[in-house]
Parts: sequence; C-alpha cells; structure tokens
Amino acid sequence: MPLLWLRVAAVLYAAASIAVFPAVLHGIVRWRKICVHLAGMAFFFHFISVVEMLVQAHQWMPVGVREVESLLGLAVAGVFFLIWWFYDAVSLGIFALPITFLIVFVPALGPNLYTFPSEGVRVGWLVVHIIALLAAYVALGFSLLASMLYLLQERRIKSKRKPAEDSWWLLFDWLPSLDTLERIAHTTLEFGFPCMTVGLAIGALLVQSTTLGAAYFLDPKVIAAFGLWFIYCFLILARRVAGLRGRRAAYLSGTVFLIMLAVLAANIFSQVHRYGPR
Amino acid sequence: MTLVLIGVNHKTAPLEVRERIAISREQLPLVTRALAAVPGVVECMIVSTCNRVEILAAVEPSTTDSLDAELHSFLHRHFHLDPALLAPHLYELRDHQAVTHLFRVAASLDSMVVGEPQILGQVKEAFAVAHAAGSISSQLDHLLQSAFAAAKKVRTETGIGSNSVSIASVGVDLARKIFGSLQGRTVFLVGAGKMSELAARHLVQQGAGTIMVANRTLERARLMAEPFGGRVVPIDQLYEAASQADIVITSTSAPHPIFGREHGQAFLHRRRNRPMFFIDLAVPRDVDPAMGKLEGIFVYDIDDLQAVAADHMAVRSREADAAEALIAAEVERFHQWQRTLNVAPAIVALQQQAEQMRQTELKRAQAKLGSLSDEQIAAVEALTRGLVNKLLHPPMQALKKAARQNDGLRLDALCEAWALPAVSGLGEIETEEGKQDVEVNHS
Repeated sequence: MPLLWLRVAAVLYAAASIAVFPAVLHGIVRWRKICVHLAGMAFFFHFISVVEMLVQAHQWMPVGVREVESLLGLAVAGVFFLIWWFYDAVSLGIFALPITFLIVFVPALGPNLYTFPSEGVRVGWLVVHIIALLAAYVALGFSLLASMLYLLQERRIKSKRKPAEDSWWLLFDWLPSLDTLERIAHTTLEFGFPCMTVGLAIGALLVQSTTLGAAYFLDPKVIAAFGLWFIYCFLILARRVAGLRGRRAAYLSGTVFLIMLAVLAANIFSQVHRYGPR
Repeated sequence: MTLVLIGVNHKTAPLEVRERIAISREQLPLVTRALAAVPGVVECMIVSTCNRVEILAAVEPSTTDSLDAELHSFLHRHFHLDPALLAPHLYELRDHQAVTHLFRVAASLDSMVVGEPQILGQVKEAFAVAHAAGSISSQLDHLLQSAFAAAKKVRTETGIGSNSVSIASVGVDLARKIFGSLQGRTVFLVGAGKMSELAARHLVQQGAGTIMVANRTLERARLMAEPFGGRVVPIDQLYEAASQADIVITSTSAPHPIFGREHGQAFLHRRRNRPMFFIDLAVPRDVDPAMGKLEGIFVYDIDDLQAVAADHMAVRSREADAAEALIAAEVERFHQWQRTLNVAPAIVALQQQAEQMRQTELKRAQAKLGSLSDEQIAAVEALTRGLVNKLLHPPMQALKKAARQNDGLRLDALCEAWALPAVSGLGEIETEEGKQDVEVNHS
C-alpha cells in the first residue's frame, strides 16, 4: 500500500508541477487554486505513504535509500507549504514542485534495492535524526533559492529595462517582492539551524550505543556535517548581526549549499552512513 | 424598442463645455427622473463623469424621429445652454452603435487613459441611480448587465489594466516590488512639489505609515504634511531623517544633487543594509545616479518613471486590440438575445393556436369518451398537453435560432408554414456578423 499511495502522490505532484506554470507565469487565479489543491492532495497521500512505510517496514526507521528520498520529498513539499502559508508565495512552487516530483519519482518506481547496513543504530531516534537533517537541508535549499531570486529581482529593478527593450525580463514578472524573498531566505535559515543542531546531536548520541564509538567522529561525512554546522552558524550570525543581505548573503548561502551537497556526497566515503545491497 | 445614446465626451468636447453639462452625484437622480418623463422615453439612464456626459434611452420606434428633437431640447433646457454651443460637440448613436459604444465605455476602451478602472464603477453607479429612480426595465437592465459582464471579461482576459501608466502609480508599483506590502513604511518627502504630493498620496492609500516632509520653507512643509498626519523635518536634519525612511521622494529646485553616493553608504550602514527607494522627481536631479549603484539602494528619476509609464501605455494599446475583439463578440451576443425578443409574439401566437386546437379536439372527443372520472380527465389533459408541448418544441427552437441568426427568410418561411404573424424589427439590429450570417444562410 505505501507504494500505491506514493505513486498517487507522484502523479499529483506531476500535475501540480504543470499547473504551477500558468498559475505563476500568467498569474491565473484558477490555476493557482488547482495547483495548490493538487499539491495539497499529493502531500496528503505522500504523508500517508511515508507513515505506512515507516510503521510497516522498519518500526519507524527509514533505513533504505528510497525511504530517505521519499522523506526528503515530503520535507521539500512541507517547506513549500509553510512558505505558501506564511508568505503567500506560490511562485517558489515553480522550483519546489518539480523538484519534489523528481525526488519522489525514484522511490515510487519500486521497493528499496539498497539499505542501511549498520544494525547497531537501528533505534527509534534514528527517524528523528534523519528527518531533522533532511529538514535542515531542505530549509537551506529554499534559503539559497530565495537568495538567488532576490538577486534576480534586484537586478531587474535596478536595470530599469522596459518590456519593449527586453521581453526576457517579462518572464520574471512573477517574482515576489525583495522584502518577501529576504524574509523567506532568513526564516528558512533560522528554521533549518535548530533542525541541523538536533539532527547532529541525536546522531552523535545514537552512535555511542554502537561499536563505532569515538571512531564516529573521524568519519568523513560526520566531519563535513559538523563543518557545515559551523558555517551555517556563521551565516545566521552574519545575517543577524551584520544585516548581511543581497548579493553577499546569496554567495554565502551558495557556499553553504555546496558544502551541504558535499556532505550528502560523503556517503561514498562514510563507514557509518554507507548504503549497501539488501 | 430603439436604443438611443446622446452625449459628449473628452474626444468631442473641450473641458469648458463638459464642465457646463456635468451632473453632480446629488443631482443625478433628479435629472434621470426628468429624462424618464420625456414623452416617448421608455427606459433611460445618464452617465456623468469628468470626461463624459451620456444619455442612454430605450424609446418607442415610432417616436424615434420626434424624440431626437425632444432629447436635444431636454439637454439645452436642463443645462441652460445655447443649442449652437452644444450641438457641434454632441454625438448621437443608435442600436448597434449605441450598444457597442456603451460596451466600450464600460470596458474603459473609450477612456482618456485606456484601461483605467474607475469608469466601470461610474457606469455601475449611474445604473444604480437610474434603477432607484425607476427608469430601468428589462431592456436596459439586460443591456447594462451584458456591458458589465463584457467589461469584466476584458479586464480578466486581457492585460489592459495590468500595468500602471501614471508616474505616481509607477512609483508605487516599484515600491511594492521592493517592499512588498507598504504597510507601516516610512515615506520622506524632500521638497514640496505637486507631483511628490501625488506620489505620497498613492503610497498612503497603499498603507504607507509615517510621512515626513522637509522643505526650505517650513510653512509649506507643514501645509503638505498636515493632510497625511505627517511631521515636518527641519532642513538641517535632512540626512538623519532620510536614513529612517524606506522611500524618499525628492522634488527640490536645488542646482546640484543633495543625495550623493557617500550619503547612500552612510544610510545603509545606519539601516543595517535595509533597502531604500529614492524617487527623484526633480530637474536637475536631487539624487546622484551613482547612488543607485549601491547594493540595497534603488534610484528612479523622472525619466525612468516616464519611460516605464510610456511603455506600459504601449502594452495597454496592444491589449486594447484584443479587447475590441472581445467587445465585438459580446455585442453580438447581446443582439442575439435582443432578436429572440422579436419572435416572442410569434411564439405566443403559436402556443395560443395550438392550445385552441387542443381544446377544440378535447371537446369533440368528450362526446365519444362519455363520462370520465376526475383522474381520467386529468390523465387526458396531461397527455394532450404533453403532446402539444413536444410538437411545439422544434418550431419554437427553429424560430429562436432563426431570430438569433437574423435570418429573415427562414423566419418568414416558418411563420408562413405555421400561419403565424410576421416577425417585425429583425433587420433593425443588423451587425456586420449578422449580415454575413444572412448571406451564408441565403446561399
């Protein structure tokens, strides 16, 4: 059943990804409603699928690659809905909904082929560790996206180019205001930071109950993750204390995002986080 | 019924004529009732705005010619104007032209600033006044409802009203792109020019909070700040106040820029990089263009604003073409409805004729059927009525269809076949599309 619900969700995400374009690019209210309703239904079925999957398969432990992917998709859709709810910014759906569909598409194809071999950490808190870190990654992704759009909007306003001179600029008429983008970038960062802190802390505590012990802190992925946490910390401080915004904030967010990708890629070298065949 | 529209507008009459015949909101019900009392006028309404005064009336076809003189004399009498002064500026439209004109007016295609949204509200208000005065019945009611629907369609399906075309509203739009909601934003007016006052009014309407005004003469600044509930800033505190403002509108006559790049850097430092928007309406400019290169500071001068406004105007003109096509379709739809009214007497005659036949046949059958119970009589009634209705449905639909398509030949044939009175008034509502339909049907 979880797979069936996930497939339904994937189809609905795909439909919402199509509906979001006329809704945002042409500002058609009817399409906007259709898009939000489709995405809402997709999120609902996705949530059911994740809950069933976690309960049935592993007693609340997402230990397969596809399970984690499904959770990541849920986190992206969830953050999109939070942004829509607080800032009425459906426009970010142009990126968020197709990305969610792509993330969900692979797990919707079939059951796990690869799983997490470390039996030692298969305890209930693992799900909190994974969800918290995924939420942090997604928040960081949205923050970067909002920062990039901020740069684009700022350039549009400063360029003073008129539609007749450059119709290309018209394509971005849907961009939210600079203030909204700035608030999205800042709030998502502030939301992601405690998530990352909790995720890392739980991970560090969980590993104490395994044979890995102190060796855990020498794992490349773990080192990169803690490095990411420090830079994340700096990014938030720079925004808060120095009022960092605009171009410099976007560059810094971009750097943090790249490090985040490196952390995800570090699974290849990790002894703790490596996935293997079932 | 014939539709007549008489009036003047900004294209046909100069302001000195328009202002003499403008009707105030308070007077409008009185004048509407006076117009309704003119012999021959069945329904009427008056649209009076700063750019137009138009009388729309549904009149009896037989009185149309004499009514023209009546309506003209009504205007002269009511506004105490010399007929020679008003006559050259008056336009008079009938039926199809009157309907098209009304639809174009409601859709803001006939406005001085094409696409401006106020006119629809003004026409609706005029309609409400006429309704309250009792001068509106089915014909004008349907006409006006169709005009409102067409105007709404034009506004939602074309981009005719999507972009601002005045300098003040372009400024507000840009401010919204930067700050989103203007709720609680601080606006600083440097110099007390008319245009900056207008821009400030627009910003306040959008929710801008605090207004500060600085001017060389304090009295002038006080006069400007007062209507907005704003505060006056002494000129020696100019830069300190500017750093607190989100939007700065300048319109001084200073020969050199009063805000330079170094001021911008200081503002950003004090504001912890929160953005600022400078609207420079002065010539020569009050804000050094180099300031606009700073991250977080946006500078638009009068030329920039005018260029955006002109460009938006060009976009509106392009959209107006699409709107004209929509209006033409909606006018045709209205005429189709109007034509179906003309066949109403024929349809009624057809129904009466059939009912008469049914009654005659029932009487004749009663002798053969003998005494029937009440239930049996009801069953026979229902049976015959149902049969008649079913038989009448196709010719009634054919009559309506022929009327909608303005097909006189087919209508004549149908009326002849069913021995009905001839349908009149069909050719009076003849549009370009209607003519084409007729030609196609005849061939």
